Amino acid sequence: MSRFFATGSDSESEESSSADEITPKTSGPNFRQSLLLSDDEEDTKRVVRSAKDKRFEELTNLIKTIRNAMKIRDMAKCLEEFDQLCRAFLKSKTIVDKEGVPPFYIRLLADLEDYLNQLWEDKEGKKKMNKNNAKSLSSLRQKIRKYNRDYETEIAAYKEVQELLLLPLLHALLDGSSSGSSDDEEEGGEGMTAKNFLKKEAVPEANNTHAHDEASSSDDEDDEDWGEDSEDSGSSSSEDGEGKSSSLPKMFAKGTEINTTVVVKKLNEILQARGKKGTDRAAQIELLHLLAGISGEHNLGQGILVKIKFNIIASLYDYNPNLAAFMKADMWKKCLECIDELLDILFENSNIFIGENIAEDSENLAIIESQPFRVRGCILTLVERMDEEFTKIMQNTDPHSQEYVDNLKDEGHVCGIIDRLLSYLETKGSTEEVCRIYLRRIMHTYYKFDYKAHRRSLGLVAETKSEQDQEESEGEDSAVIMDRLCKFIYAKDRTDRIRTCAILCHIYHHALHSRWYQARDLMLMSHLQDNIQHADPPVQILYNRTMVQLGICAFRQGMIKDAHNALLDIQSSGRAKELLGQGLLMRNMQERNAEQEKIEKRRQVPFHMHINLELLECVYLVSAMLLEIPYMAAHEFDARRRMISKQFHHQLRVGERQPLLGPPESMREHVVAASKAMKMGDWRTCHSFIINEKMNSKVWDLFPETQCVREMLVRKIQEESLRTYLFTYSSVYDSISMGTLSEMFELELAMVHSIISKMIINEELMASLDQPTQTVVMHRTEPTSLQNMALQLAEKLGGLVENNERVFDLKQGVYGGYFNRENRGGYQQRQGGYRGGGRYRFTLSSRAH
Amino acid sequence: SFAFTWVQFNGENCLNKDTKTNLQDGLKVVLKIIKHYQEEGQGSEVVQGVLLGLVVEDRLEITNCFPFPQHTEDDADFDEVQYQMEMMRSLRHVNIDHLHVGWYQSTFYGSFVSRALLDSQFSYQHAIEESVVLIYDPIKTAQGSLSLKAYRLTPELMEICKEKDFTPEALKKANIGFEHMFEEVPIVIKNSHLISVLMWELEDKSTVADKHELLNLSSSNHLEKSLQLLMDRVDDMSQDIVKYNTYSRNLSKQQQQKHQYVQRRQQENAQRQTRGEAALAEEDITKLFKPPQPPPRMDTLLIAGQINNYCQNVKEFTSQNLGKLFMAEALQGHNS
Repeated sequence: MSRFFATGSDSESEESSSADEITPKTSGPNFRQSLLLSDDEEDTKRVVRSAKDKRFEELTNLIKTIRNAMKIRDMAKCLEEFDQLCRAFLKSKTIVDKEGVPPFYIRLLADLEDYLNQLWEDKEGKKKMNKNNAKSLSSLRQKIRKYNRDYETEIAAYKEVQELLLLPLLHALLDGSSSGSSDDEEEGGEGMTAKNFLKKEAVPEANNTHAHDEASSSDDEDDEDWGEDSEDSGSSSSEDGEGKSSSLPKMFAKGTEINTTVVVKKLNEILQARGKKGTDRAAQIELLHLLAGISGEHNLGQGILVKIKFNIIASLYDYNPNLAAFMKADMWKKCLECIDELLDILFENSNIFIGENIAEDSENLAIIESQPFRVRGCILTLVERMDEEFTKIMQNTDPHSQEYVDNLKDEGHVCGIIDRLLSYLETKGSTEEVCRIYLRRIMHTYYKFDYKAHRRSLGLVAETKSEQDQEESEGEDSAVIMDRLCKFIYAKDRTDRIRTCAILCHIYHHALHSRWYQARDLMLMSHLQDNIQHADPPVQILYNRTMVQLGICAFRQGMIKDAHNALLDIQSSGRAKELLGQGLLMRNMQERNAEQEKIEKRRQVPFHMHINLELLECVYLVSAMLLEIPYMAAHEFDARRRMISKQFHHQLRVGERQPLLGPPESMREHVVAASKAMKMGDWRTCHSFIINEKMNSKVWDLFPETQCVREMLVRKIQEESLRTYLFTYSSVYDSISMGTLSEMFELELAMVHSIISKMIINEELMASLDQPTQTVVMHRTEPTSLQNMALQLAEKLGGLVENNERVFDLKQGVYGGYFNRENRGGYQQRQGGYRGGGRYRFTLSSRAH
Repeated sequence: SFAFTWVQFNGENCLNKDTKTNLQDGLKVVLKIIKHYQEEGQGSEVVQGVLLGLVVEDRLEITNCFPFPQHTEDDADFDEVQYQMEMMRSLRHVNIDHLHVGWYQSTFYGSFVSRALLDSQFSYQHAIEESVVLIYDPIKTAQGSLSLKAYRLTPELMEICKEKDFTPEALKKANIGFEHMFEEVPIVIKNSHLISVLMWELEDKSTVADKHELLNLSSSNHLEKSLQLLMDRVDDMSQDIVKYNTYSRNLSKQQQQKHQYVQRRQQENAQRQTRGEAALAEEDITKLFKPPQPPPRMDTLLIAGQINNYCQNVKEFTSQNLGKLFMAEALQGHNS
C-alpha cells in the first residue's frame, strides 16, 4: 500500500491512515443534522469552534489591515501584512484541512490579485509611487501570483459567482445593511458555494462603508458562516461526490473553454477528495473516467490522458480500504483494461516520458510541438500492484470452484501486460526497473512446466498442423527466457532480494525440468542455505518450495540419497504444508492471534502454484524406504544404530500398531507394506505395492516423465532388495551363486556382480567372490545375534566395573585402587579381544534359521 | 483332564524333618497355580494368588490356594481385601483350611526380585510370621521340569524393612548383601497314595515323545531373552552406581569444605584472641553445609539380587544344555 502511494499521490498521509478502515461512515444528510441539533452536540461543536475561532480571528484581523492598506495604497504595509497572513494561514493548516479553505481567505486573495493587477496596469499611478512602495508592489504581485496558483479552482469559482451575482449584490448593498438573511433565502437556489461567497462578499463591503464601528459585528458574521460550514462539512464531501455524479455532464461550466489547465485543475480537485472520509470512491472513479472522456473529446493530447489514466488505476486500487480485501471481479476487469489502454498509449506515443521522479510542477501535459510529454507516475508500480491484486484474488477464491478456473484465465492477461511492460521498459526504463519487471516475469514463469519444450525434446511432432503453427508462433522456450532474465538480474541487480528470488526461481525451474545438475550447482554456488533464515518469510517460502522441487527432481533422476536429504528438513518438521505456504495448520490456531493469522494468510501461495503434498510425502517415504531398509538389515544387531529417517520409522510403527492388517489403502500404507516386503528381500511384492493402479493415479502420474520414473523405481527396488536380502540371509549361506541371485532379482549378472563387489569393498558384507564358479563365498565372521548380545553385555559389564572402581577409588584414594593401572589396561585389552570376534568360532550344530 | 480335586487330605505324613520350616504341598495346589497362569498369564504378565494352610510342628503345610482376580484400572471400587476375606469365609463354610500362610506369583525368566515383591512379602511376614512366597516359573516348567520355589525374607532384612532406613550406612551396619536377602525353603510335594499310584500308571501309559521335551537342544532363544533382561538390569545397576558415585564425591567435597571452614574459623578466633577481641559466635555448621541426600540403596541391592538370580538361571541352563549337546554329539558319533 504505502509503496504504491509513495509514488502516486500527494495525499499519502491521509491515505495510509484511512487505509485500514473498513467502510468510512457516511454522515447523514444536512437537513437531518440541523433538525437534530441537541444541546450536547452544540457543546462539542463549541469546543471545535474555539480553536478555529482563534485562528480565524487572527486571519480576519490581518485581512482587515490588508484591506485598509489597500485603500491607502500602502504597498509596503500590504506586503508585510500579506507575509504575516500567509504564515498565520499555514499555522491554521490543521483546521483548514478539516474545514476546507475559508471563503473569506479566497476572497481576499482574489481581490488582492485584481487590485494589484489594476495598480500594475496603472502606469501613471505607479510613477507617482515612492520607490519603496513600487518595489513592494512588484514583489507582492509576484508573490501572490505564485501563491494563488494553489487556489486556482477556488478563486475561479469565486470569480464566476461574483460575476453572476454582481448586480443583485450591488442592489442588495444599495438596499442597506439589512441584506443578511432574507437575501440569502431568496437566492438559495444558486447553490451552496454561491451563497457563501455572496454573503461574505457582502460583509466586508459593509465593513468598508462603516469601517470603524462594524469590526466586531463582521467577526460575528464570519463566525456564523463558519458555524454553518462546519455543520455542513461532515456531509459536504459526499454530497459533493453525489452532486457531481448527478451533474456529470456539467463538469465544467458551460462555455468554459476546455483546455489542459482546466482539466488538470479539475483533476486535482477530484483528487483532493481522495482518501478523505466519506469520499464516494466509486463516484470518484466515474468522475475520472468522465474527465478522461472529456479530454479525449477535446483532443487535449495524450499527456493529460496518461495522467488521468494513472489516477484512475490508482483510484481503482484505492477502492478497497482494507489491505486484506481483494478486488471485485468488475473492478479487476476495469483495472486490466485501463492498464492495457495506458500501455497502448505509451507504445503509440514514444514521446511520453513517465516516471516517479518527475516532479509535479515540472510535468508537461499540454501539447507543445517538439516537446515531449512529461507525466509523473510509475507504471511499474501499478503493474506490480496489479500482480499482487491478482495473487490476492487467487488466494481468496475457492480453488475447487469454477470461479477459480475463470479467474485463472486472467493469468494470461496479466502475463501479457507484464510482457508488454517488459518490452516497454527494456527500451525506456532504468536497470532497476528492468530488474523488477524481470522478476515479475520470472515469478509468472518459474513454476510452469514447459510442455512444448518437453515434447520437442522427446522428438514428438505436434499432431495437427494448426497446433504446429501455434507452436512456432509461441516464441522461445521458458528455459531460454528464464536463463536470459535471470542472468540479467544476476549481473545488474543491486538489491539482494531480487537476486535471491531470481536464483531460487531459476533453480526451481531447472529442477522442474529435470536439469538436476544445473539446479544443484546453482543451489550450492549461491550459498543460500547459509543465510536463508535471515530472509523475509515469502522468500523463505520460496526457498522451501525450491528445496522440495529439487528433492523431487533428484528422485526422478534416481539420486535417492540427494532426494532424501533435500526433503528431510521439510518433512521431518511435520509442517510441510505451512512451510510451503500452502495452508495453515489447525493446531497452531491457539498459538497465534487473529492479526498473525491474517499476515500468514496473505503469504499463502495461490493454489495453482502448489506442490502436491502427497507426491512430496510419497517421494520422501519411498526414498527413505530405499535407504533405510538395507541399512536396517545391515545393522540389525548394532545397539548404536541411528535412524536415517524418523518419519519413515514413525510410519512403520503406525503400521505395526494396526490390530488388523487389511490390504493397503492410502499412499502411506502402500509404502509401509512395500517396506515390509523389502525387508524380506521380496522385490516382486514390494514392486507391486509401490507401482500399481492406485499409486499411479495418486502419485506417479503426476510426473511428466512418468514412465522413466517408474522404470527407475523398479530398478532401485530390485537393487536395494538384493542388498537387503544379502544382509539378512548371508548368515544362512555358505556360498551363493550370482546367477541365482541375478535370476531372483531379475538383474543382469554384471549388475549383481557390481553391487556385491561394492558391498564387499565397503565392508558391509563379509564375503569374497569366486570368479570361476561365479559364486559369493561367505566368510561367516559376523557374530550371531546371541554372540552379539553377549558382546554387548560384556561391554556393559565393563562399564559397570569401571564405575564400581571409581567408587572404590574414592574410598581408597587414587593410589591404592583395588585394580592398579596396569590391570585395568589389561582388562581393556581383553575387551578389545572380544571385539575381534575371533573367539566365537564354535558353532552349534542346530543353528536356528 | 486330571481329576484330583477330590483329594482332600494332603500331607498328613511329612517325612522331611531336617529343615526348620518345612513346606507341605499337594499336587492340587501346584496344578491350581499352573492352571491360573495358563489361563490368565501372558508372556511377561504376572499372576498372583493366596496360599492357605497351617503350621504343623516345624513345617508349613500348604493345602490350598486361590487366585487374585485380574482387575483392570477402570473398576477402582474393587476391594481386594474384601474379596480375600469373602473367599476365605466361603472356604471355611465348606470346611477347607482357611488360614492365610502366604502367596504365590509367577515369574518371567526368573525375574521376580523387585521392590513390589519385597514390600508385599514384608507386610505378609510382618502380619503372619510363617508366610512364604511361592515363585512359579512357567517357562522352565514348559521345558520339562517343574520349577517352584519358596522364599522368605531373612530376619536381617525384616529388621531393615521395619526401620525403613535404606541409606548406605544403615545397610552397611546391618551387614546385609544381596545373598542374604531371601532364604529359600525346601519344598516337598506330598500326595496321597492313590495319586501316586495314578501317577505311576500315567507315566507308564504316556508315549515316549511326551517325555522328551527335556532333550530339546535349542538354546539361543532362551539365552537371548535372559541376556536381554540381564543387560537391562546391568544398565540399571550402572546408573545406580553412577548416582552413588556422585553422592560420595559430593559428600567428600563437602567434608573438605567443612573442614576448611572450621579451620579458618579457628584461625580467625585465634587471631582475635591475640588482639583481645571476643571470639566469633559458633554457628550451626550443619545448617551451613546441608549434607547431600543419600541415594536409597535398597533398589541397588534388589537389582544385585536379581542379577544374581539371572546368572544362576543362565548357569543352570547352560550347564544342562552343554550336557545335552555332548550327549547329542556322542549319539551322533555312535550312529555314524
